[in-house]
Amino acid sequence: MADPDESIDCRRAHELLSRQMDAPLTPAEWALLRAHLVICDLCVLVQRQFQALRAAVRKFGA
Amino acid sequence: MRIEVQIAELRPMLLKIARMQLREPAWAEDVVSETLIAALEGATAFEGRSQVRTWVVGILKNKILDHFRRSRRYVSVDAQADSAQVESLDELYDDTGHKANAPLDWGDPEAALSQSQFFEILQQCMDKLPRSQARIFMMREWLELETGEICDQLAITSANCFVMLHRARLRLRECVEINWFQTGSASG
Repeated sequence: MADPDESIDCRRAHELLSRQMDAPLTPAEWALLRAHLVICDLCVLVQRQFQALRAAVRKFGA
Repeated sequence: MRIEVQIAELRPMLLKIARMQLREPAWAEDVVSETLIAALEGATAFEGRSQVRTWVVGILKNKILDHFRRSRRYVSVDAQADSAQVESLDELYDDTGHKANAPLDWGDPEAALSQSQFFEILQQCMDKLPRSQARIFMMREWLELETGEICDQLAITSANCFVMLHRARLRLRECVEINWFQTGSASG
């Protein structure tokens, strides 16, 4: 599991947010990301935006 | 407007999408021709449950996937070439690793998606991406291929694949935000 003292910045969080949409994260990565999202509303917005881009492109022609 | 005319008018847009996905211009011409023929044949059965454009783009999507299945590896020397071109994401972040510009709340994306102008902006933003990034993003998000399949087809490592998708998403969210959400809501 993730070291409880370890934390990630937004840059790393965005990378994990993106990768999570393409492949499962390791439990440690997932824990780090979760811990960051709890304290960072802006990264939660970015997560929604990545999902909105996906939804937009899928809606473009199904 | 007659549906046949509407279908025919979609040709340039279809060709643009197909060229983004297929290395050889002739292949793009082929899949677009196949798409138009299929659409015209199906036009009488088209019941207008979706927009004509959405329906025809859906046909194109299947034609491109068929093409990929027929030709096992469809790449793309340029996927290698322009992923090697190092593109810095530093300008998007400050020294502490936080966003240089705070993201906006896009609100209800469904509302935005209902407006065709949103797709124009998305298309323009896609055009600004390096070609290999736009292609891989569309393979993943539009064609809905798994990353394993994309890596295999493009002959790139999965690490490279994740990096390119990440860059494409960051660039697109930035561009869409500036061109759609900021101009729409902010006056300054």
